[in-house]
Amino acid sequence: MGEPDTAEPNGARRVASEARDRVRFEEEALALADQVYRVARRFVSTREEAEDLVQDTYARAFRSWQSYTPGTNLRAWLLRILTNLNVDRGRRLQRRPDETPLEENDYYLANKVAEAGGEQVLDQDRVVERLSQDSIVNALSEVPHDFRDVVVLVDIGDFSYADAAQILDIPMGTVMSRLHRGRRLLKARLADEAVP
Amino acid sequence: MSDGDCGKCEQLLQGYLDRELSEREVVEAEEHLDGCDYCRRRYRFEESLRVYVRTTAAERMPPGLMAKLAQLRTNDPGAAPL
Repeated sequence: MGEPDTAEPNGARRVASEARDRVRFEEEALALADQVYRVARRFVSTREEAEDLVQDTYARAFRSWQSYTPGTNLRAWLLRILTNLNVDRGRRLQRRPDETPLEENDYYLANKVAEAGGEQVLDQDRVVERLSQDSIVNALSEVPHDFRDVVVLVDIGDFSYADAAQILDIPMGTVMSRLHRGRRLLKARLADEAVP
Repeated sequence: MSDGDCGKCEQLLQGYLDRELSEREVVEAEEHLDGCDYCRRRYRFEESLRVYVRTTAAERMPPGLMAKLAQLRTNDPGAAPL
């Protein structure tokens, strides 16, 4: 990087330098495996499916490493491969998912909790912990996948709206509307659990 | 404080937590949150809910998967280790 490209390196040196680049790519990709798995795990229903999906993703990434542009977001690049593989596995892509208005608003869950326990209960740090881990995982899995994918990328994968748009190959505005709806659906399901 | 302001704050809150608002919107949200207990409680609730969802839904990679992934690396005996 940054060296003047004056002399054509001889064949052996070029091969050695390419091998070093590839090794570096592989190391960097492997360092992200745990974060890639976390997203994959919530895209699919079982641990086995997630493991398969991550393995297929890395197999493809290692084969096509030269199409990655160094300096760009490698985690987003890996997730783009993973998303495509997940679609290839037969998951139906919904171009027009259900967009009918929801009655629940963004404060729905907070309002339910406040109605049941009083406004002050919202100030308690531990109020969300009345939701069990299972209930969050189950509620998330019940959100239709078009909405869930965006929620998983942004809320669990910590991706920006722009990265999520690139990974899922949808416009930013669609990311925002699906995120909005996905979170509302999630909170409506959690409300049933937290405040029966 | 009017209900309309709380409605606007509710609209901005998710983007605020995502750090995806414009500077002007951030100022608008923060000015309202500074003066409104109702929205500030909901902001704190939403913030801790986010953290809680992230930590509970994040499942660590199963042991053994890393070794399987490392085996997928291109096996070139000529490649010098870094």
